[in-house]
Amino acid sequence: MPRTIWQALTSNPRVGVFILAVPGLAYFLLFKYLPLLGNIIAFKNYDLFLGIWGSPWVGFSQFERMFRYGEFIQIVTNTFAISFYQLIFGFPAPLILALLLNEIRTFWFKRFTQTMLYLPHFLSWIIVGGIFIELLSTKGMVNLMRASLFGAGPVQYLIEPDYFRGILVSIGIWKEVGWGMIIYLAALAGINPSLYEAAVVDGANRWRQMWSITLPALLPAIVILFLLRVGNLLDQNVEQVLVFLNPLVRNVGEVIDTYVYRVGLQGAQYSYTTAIGILKSLVGLVMVVSLNQLSKKVTGESMY
Amino acid sequence: MPTFRSERWFQWCNGFFILAVSILMLMPLVHLLAVSLSAGEFVSRNQVYFWPKGWNISVYEYLGGQSRLWRSLGVSVYITLMGTMITLLISTTLSYALSRKYMPLRSLILKLIVVTFIFSLPLIPFFLVVRDLGLLNSLWSLMIPTATGAYYIFIMAAFFRGLSSELFEAGRIDGCNEYRLFWQIAVPMSIPVIATIALFHAVYQWNSYFYAIIFIRDHSLYPMQMLVREMVILDQMMNNLTGYDTSTKAMATDQLKAGVVLFVTFPILLVYPFIQKYFVKGAMLGSLKE
Repeated sequence: MPRTIWQALTSNPRVGVFILAVPGLAYFLLFKYLPLLGNIIAFKNYDLFLGIWGSPWVGFSQFERMFRYGEFIQIVTNTFAISFYQLIFGFPAPLILALLLNEIRTFWFKRFTQTMLYLPHFLSWIIVGGIFIELLSTKGMVNLMRASLFGAGPVQYLIEPDYFRGILVSIGIWKEVGWGMIIYLAALAGINPSLYEAAVVDGANRWRQMWSITLPALLPAIVILFLLRVGNLLDQNVEQVLVFLNPLVRNVGEVIDTYVYRVGLQGAQYSYTTAIGILKSLVGLVMVVSLNQLSKKVTGESMY
Repeated sequence: MPTFRSERWFQWCNGFFILAVSILMLMPLVHLLAVSLSAGEFVSRNQVYFWPKGWNISVYEYLGGQSRLWRSLGVSVYITLMGTMITLLISTTLSYALSRKYMPLRSLILKLIVVTFIFSLPLIPFFLVVRDLGLLNSLWSLMIPTATGAYYIFIMAAFFRGLSSELFEAGRIDGCNEYRLFWQIAVPMSIPVIATIALFHAVYQWNSYFYAIIFIRDHSLYPMQMLVREMVILDQMMNNLTGYDTSTKAMATDQLKAGVVLFVTFPILLVYPFIQKYFVKGAMLGSLKE
Protein backbone atom coordinates (compact mmCIF):
# COMPACT_ATOMS: atom_id res chain seq x y z
CA MET A 1 0.00 0.00 0.00
CA PRO A 2 1.39 3.41 -0.84
CA ARG A 3 2.54 5.20 2.26
CA THR A 4 3.66 8.57 0.98
CA ILE A 5 2.53 10.94 -1.77
CA TRP A 6 5.68 10.05 -3.66
CA GLN A 7 4.85 6.38 -3.51
CA ALA A 8 1.24 7.06 -4.44
CA LEU A 9 2.38 8.97 -7.48
CA THR A 10 5.04 6.57 -8.64
CA SER A 11 2.93 3.49 -8.20
CA ASN A 12 0.53 4.83 -10.81
CA PRO A 13 2.03 3.62 -14.09
CA ARG A 14 0.85 6.57 -16.14
CA VAL A 15 2.36 9.08 -13.78
CA GLY A 16 5.49 7.02 -13.31
CA VAL A 17 6.19 6.65 -16.99
CA PHE A 18 5.55 10.33 -17.59
CA ILE A 19 8.04 11.26 -14.91
CA LEU A 20 10.59 9.06 -16.66
CA ALA A 21 9.99 11.03 -19.83
CA VAL A 22 10.44 14.43 -18.24
CA PRO A 23 14.17 14.93 -18.92
CA GLY A 24 13.69 14.04 -22.58
CA LEU A 25 10.63 16.23 -22.90
CA ALA A 26 12.43 19.11 -21.27
CA TYR A 27 15.26 18.65 -23.74
CA PHE A 28 12.96 18.73 -26.75
CA LEU A 29 11.13 21.76 -25.47
CA LEU A 30 14.24 23.72 -24.67
CA PHE A 31 16.55 22.79 -27.50
CA LYS A 32 14.28 21.83 -30.36
CA TYR A 33 11.10 23.85 -29.90
CA LEU A 34 12.31 27.00 -28.27
CA PRO A 35 14.66 27.71 -31.17
CA LEU A 36 11.79 27.12 -33.60
CA LEU A 37 9.81 29.74 -31.73
CA GLY A 38 12.89 31.92 -31.76
CA ASN A 39 12.52 32.13 -35.51
CA ILE A 40 10.28 35.03 -34.72
CA ILE A 41 13.30 37.30 -34.72
CA ALA A 42 13.29 37.02 -38.49
CA PHE A 43 10.38 39.43 -38.43
CA LYS A 44 12.15 41.80 -36.14
CA ASN A 45 15.38 43.65 -36.13
CA TYR A 46 17.04 41.84 -33.30
CA ASP A 47 19.15 44.03 -31.12
CA LEU A 48 21.47 42.43 -28.60
CA PHE A 49 20.62 44.90 -25.92
CA LEU A 50 16.89 45.03 -26.43
CA GLY A 51 16.49 41.27 -26.39
CA ILE A 52 13.85 39.36 -28.29
CA TRP A 53 10.85 41.18 -26.88
CA GLY A 54 12.33 44.63 -26.96
CA SER A 55 13.51 44.49 -30.53
CA PRO A 56 11.35 46.32 -33.05
CA TRP A 57 9.12 44.56 -35.58
CA VAL A 58 10.10 44.99 -39.19
CA GLY A 59 7.65 42.70 -40.93
CA PHE A 60 9.08 41.09 -44.02
CA SER A 61 11.90 43.52 -44.61
CA GLN A 62 14.57 40.96 -43.67
CA PHE A 63 13.15 38.69 -46.35
CA GLU A 64 13.07 41.52 -48.86
CA ARG A 65 16.68 42.21 -48.06
CA MET A 66 17.57 38.70 -49.18
CA PHE A 67 16.43 39.31 -52.68
CA ARG A 68 17.73 42.81 -52.95
CA TYR A 69 21.34 41.81 -52.55
CA GLY A 70 23.04 39.75 -55.22
CA GLU A 71 25.08 37.74 -52.79
CA PHE A 72 22.08 35.79 -51.58
CA ILE A 73 21.38 34.49 -55.07
CA GLN A 74 25.01 33.49 -55.38
CA ILE A 75 24.93 31.61 -52.11
CA VAL A 76 21.81 29.69 -52.99
CA THR A 77 23.35 28.86 -56.35
CA ASN A 78 26.45 27.55 -54.64
CA THR A 79 24.42 25.43 -52.27
CA PHE A 80 22.34 23.97 -55.08
CA ALA A 81 25.33 23.37 -57.30
CA ILE A 82 27.33 21.54 -54.67
CA SER A 83 24.32 19.49 -53.59
CA PHE A 84 23.61 18.71 -57.20
CA TYR A 85 27.15 17.43 -57.83
CA GLN A 86 26.88 15.38 -54.66
CA LEU A 87 23.64 13.90 -55.88
CA ILE A 88 24.88 13.04 -59.34
CA PHE A 89 28.19 11.54 -58.23
CA GLY A 90 27.83 10.86 -54.57
CA PHE A 91 24.50 9.10 -54.63
CA PRO A 92 25.25 6.35 -57.13
CA ALA A 93 28.79 5.72 -55.86
CA PRO A 94 27.89 3.73 -52.72
CA LEU A 95 25.32 1.78 -54.70
CA ILE A 96 27.78 0.84 -57.40
CA LEU A 97 30.40 -0.06 -54.84
CA ALA A 98 27.92 -2.24 -52.96
CA LEU A 99 26.89 -4.03 -56.14
CA LEU A 100 30.50 -4.72 -57.03
CA LEU A 101 31.47 -5.78 -53.55
CA ASN A 102 28.51 -8.09 -53.44
CA GLU A 103 29.94 -10.02 -56.37
CA ILE A 104 33.06 -10.93 -54.45
CA ARG A 105 33.00 -14.58 -53.47
CA THR A 106 35.87 -14.68 -51.04
CA PHE A 107 34.49 -13.90 -47.63
CA TRP A 108 37.64 -12.75 -45.89
CA PHE A 109 38.52 -10.44 -48.75
CA LYS A 110 35.10 -8.90 -48.54
CA ARG A 111 35.42 -8.24 -44.82
CA PHE A 112 38.97 -7.03 -45.09
CA THR A 113 38.24 -4.45 -47.80
CA GLN A 114 35.04 -3.34 -46.11
CA THR A 115 36.99 -2.46 -42.98
CA MET A 116 39.26 -0.26 -45.02
CA LEU A 117 36.46 1.23 -47.04
CA TYR A 118 34.54 2.74 -44.19
CA LEU A 119 37.47 3.93 -42.15
CA PRO A 120 37.33 7.48 -43.56
CA HIS A 121 33.78 7.83 -42.30
CA PHE A 122 35.12 7.77 -38.74
CA LEU A 123 37.65 10.52 -39.29
CA SER A 124 36.61 14.02 -38.39
CA TRP A 125 36.46 16.69 -41.07
CA ILE A 126 39.38 18.37 -39.37
CA ILE A 127 41.51 15.30 -39.95
CA VAL A 128 40.28 14.91 -43.50
CA GLY A 129 40.89 18.59 -44.09
CA GLY A 130 44.37 18.35 -42.69
CA ILE A 131 45.13 15.38 -44.93
CA PHE A 132 43.86 16.84 -48.16
CA ILE A 133 45.10 20.35 -47.60
CA GLU A 134 48.54 18.81 -47.37
CA LEU A 135 48.00 16.54 -50.39
CA LEU A 136 46.59 19.24 -52.63
CA SER A 137 48.94 22.05 -51.74
CA THR A 138 51.39 23.36 -54.31
CA LYS A 139 54.17 21.28 -52.76
CA GLY A 140 51.83 18.43 -51.98
CA MET A 141 51.82 14.94 -53.41
CA VAL A 142 49.20 15.49 -56.10
CA ASN A 143 51.14 18.32 -57.68
CA LEU A 144 54.39 16.43 -57.31
CA MET A 145 52.92 13.52 -59.23
CA ARG A 146 51.64 15.84 -61.89
CA ALA A 147 55.12 17.24 -62.24
CA SER A 148 56.88 13.88 -62.41
CA LEU A 149 54.29 12.11 -64.58
CA PHE A 150 53.17 14.89 -66.91
CA GLY A 151 55.75 17.56 -66.35
CA ALA A 152 52.89 19.92 -65.62
CA GLY A 153 53.16 22.99 -63.46
CA PRO A 154 51.56 23.03 -60.02
CA VAL A 155 47.88 23.83 -59.68
CA GLN A 156 46.72 25.55 -56.57
CA TYR A 157 43.77 23.28 -56.12
CA LEU A 158 42.49 24.70 -52.93
CA ILE A 159 42.24 28.31 -53.97
CA GLU A 160 41.16 27.98 -57.59
CA PRO A 161 37.44 28.71 -57.84
CA ASP A 162 37.13 26.39 -60.82
CA TYR A 163 38.24 23.38 -58.84
CA PHE A 164 36.70 24.07 -55.48
CA ARG A 165 33.29 22.47 -55.87
CA GLY A 166 34.68 19.41 -57.60
CA ILE A 167 37.31 18.89 -54.94
CA LEU A 168 34.84 19.41 -52.14
CA VAL A 169 32.44 16.84 -53.57
CA SER A 170 35.20 14.34 -54.39
CA ILE A 171 36.63 14.44 -50.91
CA GLY A 172 33.13 14.02 -49.55
CA ILE A 173 32.66 10.93 -51.66
CA TRP A 174 36.03 9.56 -50.56
CA LYS A 175 34.95 9.93 -46.98
CA GLU A 176 31.44 8.56 -47.15
CA VAL A 177 31.22 6.03 -49.97
CA GLY A 178 32.29 3.12 -47.80
CA TRP A 179 29.77 3.93 -45.12
CA GLY A 180 26.98 4.59 -47.58
CA MET A 181 27.29 1.18 -49.09
CA ILE A 182 26.50 -0.61 -45.84
CA ILE A 183 22.78 -0.09 -46.18
CA TYR A 184 22.82 -1.39 -49.72
CA LEU A 185 24.94 -4.37 -48.70
CA ALA A 186 22.43 -5.23 -46.02
CA ALA A 187 19.60 -5.06 -48.51
CA LEU A 188 21.56 -7.13 -51.01
CA ALA A 189 22.17 -9.80 -48.42
CA GLY A 190 18.45 -10.13 -47.98
CA ILE A 191 17.74 -11.11 -51.56
CA ASN A 192 16.66 -14.70 -51.98
CA PRO A 193 19.49 -16.61 -53.67
CA SER A 194 17.10 -19.00 -55.40
CA LEU A 195 16.00 -16.08 -57.56
CA TYR A 196 19.49 -15.89 -58.96
CA GLU A 197 19.69 -19.63 -59.43
CA ALA A 198 16.47 -19.62 -61.40
CA ALA A 199 17.77 -16.76 -63.51
CA VAL A 200 20.98 -18.60 -64.31
CA VAL A 201 18.96 -21.64 -65.40
CA ASP A 202 16.98 -19.35 -67.69
CA GLY A 203 20.25 -18.20 -69.21
CA ALA A 204 20.47 -14.73 -67.72
CA ASN A 205 23.96 -13.30 -67.55
CA ARG A 206 25.25 -11.25 -64.66
CA TRP A 207 24.04 -7.93 -66.00
CA ARG A 208 20.60 -9.24 -66.77
CA GLN A 209 20.40 -10.64 -63.28
CA MET A 210 21.33 -7.29 -61.85
CA TRP A 211 18.74 -5.49 -63.89
CA SER A 212 15.87 -7.88 -63.20
CA ILE A 213 16.54 -9.12 -59.69
CA THR A 214 18.98 -6.97 -57.79
CA LEU A 215 17.89 -3.47 -58.70
CA PRO A 216 14.18 -4.05 -58.18
CA ALA A 217 14.95 -5.55 -54.79
CA LEU A 218 16.97 -2.50 -53.89
CA LEU A 219 14.41 -0.06 -55.18
CA PRO A 220 12.74 0.70 -51.81
CA ALA A 221 16.08 1.49 -50.19
CA ILE A 222 17.21 3.55 -53.15
CA VAL A 223 14.05 5.59 -53.28
CA ILE A 224 13.97 6.34 -49.57
CA LEU A 225 17.63 7.31 -49.46
CA PHE A 226 17.15 9.45 -52.53
CA LEU A 227 14.18 11.24 -51.02
CA LEU A 228 16.10 11.89 -47.84
CA ARG A 229 18.94 13.36 -49.86
CA VAL A 230 16.79 15.59 -51.95
CA GLY A 231 14.92 16.86 -48.93
CA ASN A 232 18.27 18.06 -47.66
CA LEU A 233 19.33 19.69 -50.89
CA LEU A 234 19.70 23.09 -49.34
CA ASP A 235 21.46 21.74 -46.28
CA GLN A 236 25.13 21.47 -46.64
CA ASN A 237 27.36 19.81 -44.14
CA VAL A 238 28.82 22.85 -42.44
CA GLU A 239 31.75 20.98 -40.97
CA GLN A 240 32.75 19.78 -44.41
CA VAL A 241 32.60 23.11 -46.19
CA LEU A 242 34.02 25.19 -43.37
CA VAL A 243 37.25 23.22 -43.42
CA PHE A 244 38.01 23.99 -47.05
CA LEU A 245 36.36 27.36 -47.49
CA ASN A 246 38.73 30.28 -47.84
CA PRO A 247 38.28 33.89 -48.97
CA LEU A 248 39.55 33.15 -52.48
CA VAL A 249 36.83 30.63 -53.25
CA ARG A 250 34.00 32.23 -51.37
CA ASN A 251 32.13 33.17 -54.48
CA VAL A 252 31.73 29.55 -55.50
CA GLY A 253 31.94 27.84 -52.17
CA GLU A 254 29.96 29.81 -49.65
CA VAL A 255 26.81 27.88 -48.87
CA ILE A 256 23.76 28.94 -46.90
CA ASP A 257 24.89 27.40 -43.64
CA THR A 258 28.40 28.88 -43.73
CA TYR A 259 26.91 32.23 -44.69
CA VAL A 260 24.56 32.11 -41.72
CA TYR A 261 27.51 31.32 -39.49
CA ARG A 262 29.78 34.01 -40.86
CA VAL A 263 27.32 36.84 -41.40
CA GLY A 264 24.80 35.84 -38.77
CA LEU A 265 26.91 34.90 -35.81
CA GLN A 266 30.24 36.50 -36.45
CA GLY A 267 28.71 39.50 -38.16
CA ALA A 268 25.82 39.73 -35.68
CA GLN A 269 23.19 39.90 -38.41
CA TYR A 270 20.88 37.74 -36.38
CA SER A 271 17.51 38.58 -37.83
CA TYR A 272 18.57 38.57 -41.44
CA THR A 273 20.17 35.13 -41.30
CA THR A 274 17.30 33.71 -39.30
CA ALA A 275 15.04 34.78 -42.12
CA ILE A 276 17.31 32.92 -44.51
CA GLY A 277 17.05 29.85 -42.31
CA ILE A 278 13.27 29.98 -42.36
CA LEU A 279 13.22 30.20 -46.12
CA LYS A 280 15.58 27.26 -46.36
CA SER A 281 13.38 25.13 -44.10
CA LEU A 282 10.27 26.00 -46.07
CA VAL A 283 11.87 25.18 -49.39
CA GLY A 284 13.15 21.92 -47.97
CA LEU A 285 9.70 21.04 -46.68
CA VAL A 286 8.06 21.77 -50.01
CA MET A 287 10.63 19.65 -51.81
CA VAL A 288 10.24 16.69 -49.49
CA VAL A 289 6.48 16.71 -49.61
CA SER A 290 6.17 17.18 -53.36
CA LEU A 291 8.84 14.63 -54.18
CA ASN A 292 7.20 12.19 -51.84
CA GLN A 293 3.90 12.59 -53.66
CA LEU A 294 5.65 12.21 -56.99
CA SER A 295 7.46 9.13 -55.83
CA LYS A 296 4.25 7.56 -54.59
CA LYS A 297 2.71 7.98 -58.02
CA VAL A 298 5.70 6.82 -60.01
CA THR A 299 7.18 4.03 -57.97
CA GLY A 300 4.73 3.40 -55.20
CA GLU A 301 7.43 4.07 -52.63
CA SER A 302 7.51 6.97 -50.27
CA MET A 303 8.91 8.02 -46.97
CA TYR A 304 5.66 7.92 -45.04
CA MET B 1 28.27 -22.30 -59.97
CA PRO B 2 30.11 -22.86 -63.23
CA THR B 3 33.18 -20.70 -63.60
CA PHE B 4 33.60 -19.65 -67.21
CA ARG B 5 36.67 -17.80 -68.30
CA SER B 6 34.87 -14.50 -68.51
CA GLU B 7 33.52 -15.01 -65.02
CA ARG B 8 37.05 -15.60 -63.74
CA TRP B 9 38.28 -12.52 -65.53
CA PHE B 10 35.46 -10.47 -64.04
CA GLN B 11 36.20 -11.72 -60.53
CA TRP B 12 39.84 -10.77 -60.83
CA CYS B 13 39.14 -7.34 -62.27
CA ASN B 14 36.45 -6.64 -59.75
CA GLY B 15 38.61 -7.78 -56.89
CA PHE B 16 41.46 -5.68 -58.09
CA PHE B 17 39.25 -2.63 -58.43
CA ILE B 18 37.80 -3.06 -54.95
CA LEU B 19 41.26 -3.52 -53.51
CA ALA B 20 42.48 -0.40 -55.28
CA VAL B 21 39.60 1.66 -53.89
CA SER B 22 40.20 0.29 -50.40
CA ILE B 23 43.85 1.17 -50.52
CA LEU B 24 42.88 4.61 -51.76
CA MET B 25 41.02 5.08 -48.50
CA LEU B 26 44.15 4.51 -46.47
CA MET B 27 46.82 6.08 -48.60
CA PRO B 28 46.31 9.73 -47.70
CA LEU B 29 46.66 8.96 -44.02
CA VAL B 30 49.70 6.78 -44.65
CA HIS B 31 51.31 9.63 -46.54
CA LEU B 32 50.85 11.98 -43.62
CA LEU B 33 52.23 9.37 -41.26
CA ALA B 34 55.30 9.03 -43.45
CA VAL B 35 55.78 12.79 -43.54
CA SER B 36 55.56 13.04 -39.79
CA LEU B 37 58.15 10.33 -39.28
CA SER B 38 60.69 11.58 -41.81
CA ALA B 39 63.77 13.69 -41.47
CA GLY B 40 63.03 17.33 -42.16
CA GLU B 41 65.20 17.81 -45.21
CA PHE B 42 63.42 15.11 -47.20
CA VAL B 43 60.09 16.67 -46.38
CA SER B 44 61.09 20.12 -47.54
CA ARG B 45 62.43 18.61 -50.73
CA ASN B 46 59.12 16.83 -51.18
CA GLN B 47 60.63 13.42 -51.45
CA VAL B 48 58.40 11.63 -49.02
CA TYR B 49 55.62 9.50 -50.48
CA PHE B 50 54.33 6.58 -48.48
CA TRP B 51 57.32 5.51 -46.50
CA PRO B 52 59.35 7.70 -44.14
CA LYS B 53 62.76 8.78 -45.36
CA GLY B 54 65.25 9.12 -42.60
CA TRP B 55 63.45 7.89 -39.52
CA ASN B 56 62.84 10.75 -37.19
CA ILE B 57 60.52 10.77 -34.25
CA SER B 58 61.36 14.24 -33.05
CA VAL B 59 57.99 15.54 -34.24
CA TYR B 60 56.21 13.21 -31.88
CA GLU B 61 58.69 13.85 -29.09
CA TYR B 62 58.02 17.54 -29.44
CA LEU B 63 54.25 17.22 -29.70
CA GLY B 64 54.22 14.84 -26.75
CA GLY B 65 55.47 17.65 -24.59
CA GLN B 66 52.75 20.06 -25.61
CA SER B 67 50.43 20.38 -22.66
CA ARG B 68 47.80 22.17 -24.72
CA LEU B 69 47.40 19.14 -26.94
CA TRP B 70 47.03 16.79 -24.01
CA ARG B 71 44.60 19.09 -22.30
CA SER B 72 42.40 19.27 -25.36
CA LEU B 73 42.58 15.48 -25.57
CA GLY B 74 41.32 15.34 -22.02
CA VAL B 75 38.51 17.73 -22.85
CA SER B 76 37.48 15.61 -25.81
CA VAL B 77 37.54 12.43 -23.75
CA TYR B 78 35.44 14.08 -21.08
CA ILE B 79 32.80 15.48 -23.39
CA THR B 80 32.62 12.23 -25.28
CA LEU B 81 32.10 10.06 -22.22
CA MET B 82 29.94 12.48 -20.26
CA GLY B 83 28.05 13.62 -23.32
CA THR B 84 27.26 10.07 -24.31
CA MET B 85 26.04 9.28 -20.82
CA ILE B 86 23.75 12.29 -20.87
CA THR B 87 22.50 11.31 -24.28
CA LEU B 88 21.77 7.78 -23.16
CA LEU B 89 19.95 8.94 -20.05
CA ILE B 90 17.71 11.34 -21.90
CA SER B 91 17.13 9.11 -24.89
CA THR B 92 16.43 5.83 -23.16
CA THR B 93 13.99 7.28 -20.66
CA LEU B 94 12.02 9.20 -23.25
CA SER B 95 12.04 6.34 -25.77
CA TYR B 96 10.95 3.83 -23.18
CA ALA B 97 8.13 6.09 -22.07
CA LEU B 98 6.98 6.61 -25.63
CA SER B 99 6.98 2.88 -26.22
CA ARG B 100 4.44 2.32 -23.47
CA LYS B 101 0.89 2.52 -24.76
CA TYR B 102 -0.34 3.98 -21.49
CA MET B 103 1.96 6.97 -21.67
CA PRO B 104 -0.11 10.15 -21.37
CA LEU B 105 -0.05 12.41 -24.45
CA ARG B 106 1.85 9.75 -26.31
CA SER B 107 0.71 10.32 -29.87
CA LEU B 108 0.87 14.08 -29.50
CA ILE B 109 4.45 13.93 -28.32
CA LEU B 110 5.41 11.56 -31.11
CA LYS B 111 3.93 13.90 -33.69
CA LEU B 112 5.77 16.84 -32.15
CA ILE B 113 9.03 14.94 -32.34
CA VAL B 114 8.43 14.21 -36.01
CA VAL B 115 7.99 17.94 -36.52
CA THR B 116 11.45 18.58 -35.10
CA PHE B 117 12.77 16.07 -37.57
CA ILE B 118 11.25 17.89 -40.51
CA PHE B 119 12.19 21.42 -39.58
CA SER B 120 15.91 21.61 -39.16
CA LEU B 121 17.27 23.48 -36.20
CA PRO B 122 17.76 27.19 -36.97
CA LEU B 123 21.26 28.13 -36.00
CA ILE B 124 20.81 31.66 -34.71
CA PRO B 125 17.86 31.02 -32.41
CA PHE B 126 19.63 27.88 -31.19
CA PHE B 127 22.66 29.95 -30.32
CA LEU B 128 20.49 32.49 -28.55
CA VAL B 129 18.78 29.81 -26.48
CA VAL B 130 22.11 28.34 -25.39
CA ARG B 131 23.38 31.80 -24.60
CA ASP B 132 20.34 32.77 -22.60
CA LEU B 133 20.59 29.58 -20.59
CA GLY B 134 24.02 30.72 -19.50
CA LEU B 135 25.77 27.79 -21.11
CA LEU B 136 28.11 29.78 -23.30
CA ASN B 137 31.78 29.05 -22.90
CA SER B 138 31.16 25.97 -20.80
CA LEU B 139 31.55 22.33 -21.72
CA TRP B 140 27.84 21.77 -20.99
CA SER B 141 27.07 23.65 -24.18
CA LEU B 142 28.76 20.86 -26.09
CA MET B 143 27.02 18.03 -24.34
CA ILE B 144 23.46 19.05 -23.59
CA PRO B 145 22.06 21.02 -26.53
CA THR B 146 23.02 18.27 -28.97
CA ALA B 147 22.19 15.38 -26.69
CA THR B 148 19.49 13.69 -28.69
CA GLY B 149 17.02 13.94 -31.52
CA ALA B 150 14.22 12.24 -33.35
CA TYR B 151 16.62 9.80 -34.94
CA TYR B 152 17.84 8.28 -31.67
CA ILE B 153 14.37 8.36 -30.13
CA PHE B 154 12.72 6.51 -32.98
CA ILE B 155 15.35 3.81 -33.13
CA MET B 156 15.19 3.20 -29.41
CA ALA B 157 11.43 3.43 -29.11
CA ALA B 158 11.03 0.85 -31.85
CA PHE B 159 13.29 -1.46 -29.95
CA PHE B 160 11.49 -0.96 -26.65
CA ARG B 161 8.17 -1.59 -28.35
CA GLY B 162 9.50 -4.92 -29.52
CA LEU B 163 10.25 -6.19 -26.04
CA SER B 164 7.86 -8.87 -24.90
CA SER B 165 5.22 -7.55 -22.56
CA GLU B 166 5.08 -10.65 -20.37
CA LEU B 167 8.18 -9.70 -18.46
CA PHE B 168 6.76 -6.30 -17.70
CA GLU B 169 3.45 -7.73 -16.58
CA ALA B 170 5.25 -10.17 -14.35
CA GLY B 171 7.25 -7.31 -12.93
CA ARG B 172 4.17 -5.27 -12.28
CA ILE B 173 2.51 -8.16 -10.48
CA ASP B 174 5.58 -8.37 -8.31
CA GLY B 175 5.02 -4.74 -7.34
CA CYS B 176 7.57 -2.95 -9.46
CA ASN B 177 6.90 0.69 -10.16
CA GLU B 178 7.65 2.18 -13.58
CA TYR B 179 11.08 3.24 -12.55
CA ARG B 180 12.11 -0.30 -11.65
CA LEU B 181 10.43 -1.73 -14.70
CA PHE B 182 12.58 0.57 -16.75
CA TRP B 183 15.90 0.11 -15.00
CA GLN B 184 15.73 -3.52 -14.06
CA ILE B 185 13.81 -5.02 -16.93
CA ALA B 186 13.86 -2.81 -20.00
CA VAL B 187 17.43 -1.56 -19.85
CA PRO B 188 19.19 -4.90 -19.37
CA MET B 189 17.25 -6.29 -22.31
CA SER B 190 18.27 -3.36 -24.50
CA ILE B 191 22.01 -3.49 -24.30
CA PRO B 192 22.47 -3.92 -28.08
CA VAL B 193 20.54 -0.84 -29.04
CA ILE B 194 21.97 1.17 -26.17
CA ALA B 195 25.49 0.21 -27.19
CA THR B 196 24.77 1.16 -30.77
CA ILE B 197 23.38 4.57 -29.95
CA ALA B 198 26.20 5.12 -27.48
CA LEU B 199 28.82 4.41 -30.13
CA PHE B 200 27.09 6.51 -32.76
CA HIS B 201 26.94 9.43 -30.43
CA ALA B 202 30.44 8.98 -29.09
CA VAL B 203 31.92 9.15 -32.56
CA TYR B 204 29.80 12.18 -33.37
CA GLN B 205 30.81 13.89 -30.15
CA TRP B 206 34.48 13.12 -30.65
CA ASN B 207 34.58 14.40 -34.19
CA SER B 208 32.36 17.45 -34.08
CA TYR B 209 33.90 20.89 -33.97
CA PHE B 210 31.35 23.34 -35.28
CA TYR B 211 29.43 23.87 -32.06
CA ALA B 212 32.72 24.17 -30.21
CA ILE B 213 33.62 27.05 -32.50
CA ILE B 214 30.35 28.77 -31.75
CA PHE B 215 30.11 28.19 -28.04
CA ILE B 216 33.64 28.01 -26.63
CA ARG B 217 35.99 30.97 -26.11
CA ASP B 218 38.40 29.70 -23.47
CA HIS B 219 41.47 28.04 -24.90
CA SER B 220 41.63 25.76 -21.93
CA LEU B 221 38.21 24.35 -22.84
CA TYR B 222 39.01 23.63 -26.48
CA PRO B 223 38.19 20.09 -27.53
CA MET B 224 40.89 18.48 -29.59
CA GLN B 225 39.26 18.97 -32.99
CA MET B 226 38.97 22.67 -32.38
CA LEU B 227 42.60 23.01 -31.32
CA VAL B 228 43.80 21.02 -34.29
CA ARG B 229 41.64 23.17 -36.52
CA GLU B 230 43.43 26.27 -35.32
CA MET B 231 46.79 24.70 -35.81
CA VAL B 232 46.33 22.96 -39.10
CA ILE B 233 43.46 24.63 -40.94
CA LEU B 234 43.80 28.17 -39.71
CA ASP B 235 47.58 27.99 -39.75
CA GLN B 236 48.00 29.23 -36.24
CA MET B 237 50.61 26.74 -35.13
CA MET B 238 52.80 29.28 -33.42
CA ASN B 239 50.08 30.56 -31.16
CA ASN B 240 49.37 27.15 -29.85
CA LEU B 241 52.73 25.58 -29.36
CA THR B 242 55.26 26.36 -26.70
CA GLY B 243 58.97 26.29 -27.20
CA TYR B 244 58.64 26.50 -30.95
CA ASP B 245 61.99 27.46 -32.33
CA THR B 246 61.78 28.51 -35.98
CA SER B 247 65.51 28.48 -36.31
CA THR B 248 65.69 24.73 -35.87
CA LYS B 249 65.17 23.51 -39.40
CA ALA B 250 64.81 20.00 -38.09
CA MET B 251 61.03 20.17 -38.22
CA ALA B 252 59.14 21.63 -41.14
CA THR B 253 55.75 23.13 -40.32
CA ASP B 254 54.22 20.61 -42.68
CA GLN B 255 55.64 17.88 -40.54
CA LEU B 256 54.26 19.33 -37.38
CA LYS B 257 50.87 19.66 -39.00
CA ALA B 258 51.05 16.06 -40.13
CA GLY B 259 52.05 15.01 -36.66
CA VAL B 260 49.17 16.87 -35.08
CA VAL B 261 46.69 15.33 -37.49
CA LEU B 262 48.01 11.86 -36.69
CA PHE B 263 47.87 12.70 -33.00
CA VAL B 264 44.16 13.42 -33.20
CA THR B 265 43.52 10.43 -35.48
CA PHE B 266 45.26 7.96 -33.26
CA PRO B 267 42.47 7.51 -30.67
CA ILE B 268 39.96 6.66 -33.38
CA LEU B 269 42.33 4.17 -34.97
CA LEU B 270 42.88 2.63 -31.58
CA VAL B 271 39.21 1.85 -30.94
CA TYR B 272 38.25 1.28 -34.56
CA PRO B 273 38.71 -2.49 -34.69
CA PHE B 274 36.55 -2.94 -31.64
CA ILE B 275 33.69 -0.63 -32.51
CA GLN B 276 33.57 -1.36 -36.19
CA LYS B 277 31.43 -4.45 -35.77
CA TYR B 278 28.88 -2.68 -33.61
CA PHE B 279 28.60 0.15 -36.05
CA VAL B 280 27.74 -1.98 -38.99
CA LYS B 281 25.08 -3.76 -36.98
CA GLY B 282 23.74 -0.45 -35.78
CA ALA B 283 23.57 1.11 -39.19
CA MET B 284 21.47 -1.76 -40.35
CA LEU B 285 19.26 -1.52 -37.27
CA GLY B 286 18.57 2.08 -38.16
CA SER B 287 17.85 1.54 -41.79
CA LEU B 288 15.82 -1.62 -41.62
CA LYS B 289 13.61 0.04 -39.10
CA GLU B 290 12.47 2.45 -41.78
